[in-house]
Amino acid sequence: MKLSTEAAAILETSMHINKVSDKERSDIENVIAAMPDDRVMLYKNVVSNPIGDLPRYSIHIRIQHMLTFVTFLTLAFTGLPIAFFDHFWAQPLNSIIGGVDVSRVIHRTLAGVMIFSMLYHIVTITLGPIQQMMGSRFEWRRTIIPTLKDVRDFKEDILYFTGTRNQRPEMDKFMYKQKIHYFAAAFGNMVMIISGSSFLFPEFWAAVLPVDIAANFQEMMRLSHPHEALLALLVIAFWHWYNVHLAPGRFPMQWTFLTGKITREHQIEEHFLEYLRNLVELPEERAYLMDILEARELNASEETIATQVGIQISEEPES
Amino acid sequence: MVRIPKTRKTWWLAVVACLMFTDSGLAFEDDEGCLLCHKYPKMGRITDEGTRRTYYVMPHVFGSTVHRNVPCTDCHTYIKQLPHREVKTGVTCDTECHSIKNPATGKPFSHKPIAEQYQRSTHGREKLAEGHDADKPYCVTCHRNPIYNPDEQGPPPRIVARCVICHEDNKFVENWYKHTSRRIREVKRSSEEIVALCSSCHGDERLVQRHMKAAKEEGRELGRKYRDAVESYNESFHGKITRYGFRKAANCLDCHVDNENYYLNAHFIRPSRDPQSPVSSENKAKTCKRCHTYANENYAALDPHPTDDPQDSPFRYYAEITYNWVGNVVIVLLVSLAMLETIGRRRDGVGWRLHSGSSWWRRSKRGRNRII
Repeated sequence: MKLSTEAAAILETSMHINKVSDKERSDIENVIAAMPDDRVMLYKNVVSNPIGDLPRYSIHIRIQHMLTFVTFLTLAFTGLPIAFFDHFWAQPLNSIIGGVDVSRVIHRTLAGVMIFSMLYHIVTITLGPIQQMMGSRFEWRRTIIPTLKDVRDFKEDILYFTGTRNQRPEMDKFMYKQKIHYFAAAFGNMVMIISGSSFLFPEFWAAVLPVDIAANFQEMMRLSHPHEALLALLVIAFWHWYNVHLAPGRFPMQWTFLTGKITREHQIEEHFLEYLRNLVELPEERAYLMDILEARELNASEETIATQVGIQISEEPES
Repeated sequence: MVRIPKTRKTWWLAVVACLMFTDSGLAFEDDEGCLLCHKYPKMGRITDEGTRRTYYVMPHVFGSTVHRNVPCTDCHTYIKQLPHREVKTGVTCDTECHSIKNPATGKPFSHKPIAEQYQRSTHGREKLAEGHDADKPYCVTCHRNPIYNPDEQGPPPRIVARCVICHEDNKFVENWYKHTSRRIREVKRSSEEIVALCSSCHGDERLVQRHMKAAKEEGRELGRKYRDAVESYNESFHGKITRYGFRKAANCLDCHVDNENYYLNAHFIRPSRDPQSPVSSENKAKTCKRCHTYANENYAALDPHPTDDPQDSPFRYYAEITYNWVGNVVIVLLVSLAMLETIGRRRDGVGWRLHSGSSWWRRSKRGRNRII
């Protein structure tokens, strides 16, 4: 496979970070060169373990996801019956929970747990990169930070879905959908915390804000808390659960949130740039890939490999 | 339809009929003989306006109410003979009860002080009122003849046995026990009951419109929230959790009544423009402080009756429209993306589940299939 300039740069950076030996570099280049040019044929022909093949999330991220997942749903189910009091489902749901005397205690307690989860996440995404920087292993393209490439990826993905483009774009560890979802959740979390605090400590907000703003602020928060909660619940139900449960290839469930691992075919399809890093970091993945390429007779000819290795070596990583 | 005959002859026939079927076991002393007729369930009439009036008195129920010791004619003072004449005004609650003495002053007991206080409030009206005053509540709109301790049959025998040692009379002891135990308990209505009571008038759209029209014609000013008072309260956090039965959230009277002497001032509700009102601009912050300890003038500016009416609260109105649009657009876009993604990937051969380690086992319409 002839790598794009972008992919070649990622590969080169990864090899540099991992301080690969000449032999390993040669192995990696050979594997890359042996891969078929049509990436679709690559992810169509690998064999994946449903519970995951390649590392993706640390134990900290999995704990944070679990805390957010449990608190979010419970907060929604204890709060929405109050906000949407007049709806037919509200009073039965509130009764099942135990009435407002119970649900208000649960709601406030779990709000505290959700805030803890958020702080835990902030600590993780701060200390993790600091540790990587100290070991000169930090790579910002591997983070959730949005870039212009995400806009390009989105456009190219739409072209693939509509049948205009032959390939999905080469996306990094976090693709555009995950970045949208992550920042929407982060924004939503902040809205819920601020608006929730305006219910719990209305005197505080009235005291710190000018009188002209205080009333409108409180109105905005009264609207924001239930609207944001409902929007988040709908996004989770119709989009997030689609992406991780209902989408073809992910059904009935992606195990990543429990095992921290992603399937090989998923990694190659949607996170190809991260898969290149996997090839650098995991010798056993290189061995596996060579075996499967040979077994399926997908590997490129020796002449092609020799040519492509030469081209690839000459590529300079992007700054 | 039951109509009481008005001629003297038929009246006497009715009395004779009553006497023939009189039950001897009454639950309270009926020295005036009112139950001769009023103990019959069919006793009543339909007014010229078509309203059904029942004059039936259930002796066993009345005998358990707070007024059970008050002779009928103490309140129905206009009844001088039996059978009595047509009742024009009915009972007014500021009548003095000549049979019941106020134990503190020795004077005839009366609800006059509270009735006079009520008369000065924004709700004040005469028993027989006309015009928009007729829409206002009279005493009996809110107060009926409640039963003493409905959950309790009577005082425990050991208490009666102890008290009669000095007080000698079992009935006296039982009455005192019921009277004091009822007062010691919280006799205030629950928040839900208070909201329901106030809503029975303030939530009556026709009544509100009628009153607003009259006020406009007379050039009277009404409160900014008068029109939406109930709806906006029900939409507020206070209203929602109160309707769920939570008792610590503010109900109507918690804010609109001066709590210095709650039971007295509940009968002296003033409009918010009156400086004496606890929700007037002068007193609002102080009123909020009853529950929200650190409330200040800024806090008092928060709207306890939020509405999405563009004239009342344009900020909230436009913010809500924006929120609804953003929410709908986001959901439509994301669901569209998910559908497009499914169609696009399915066309290239992806299946829902992994078969033999791959979800790309279906035939691709793009001509590149998994190698089996």
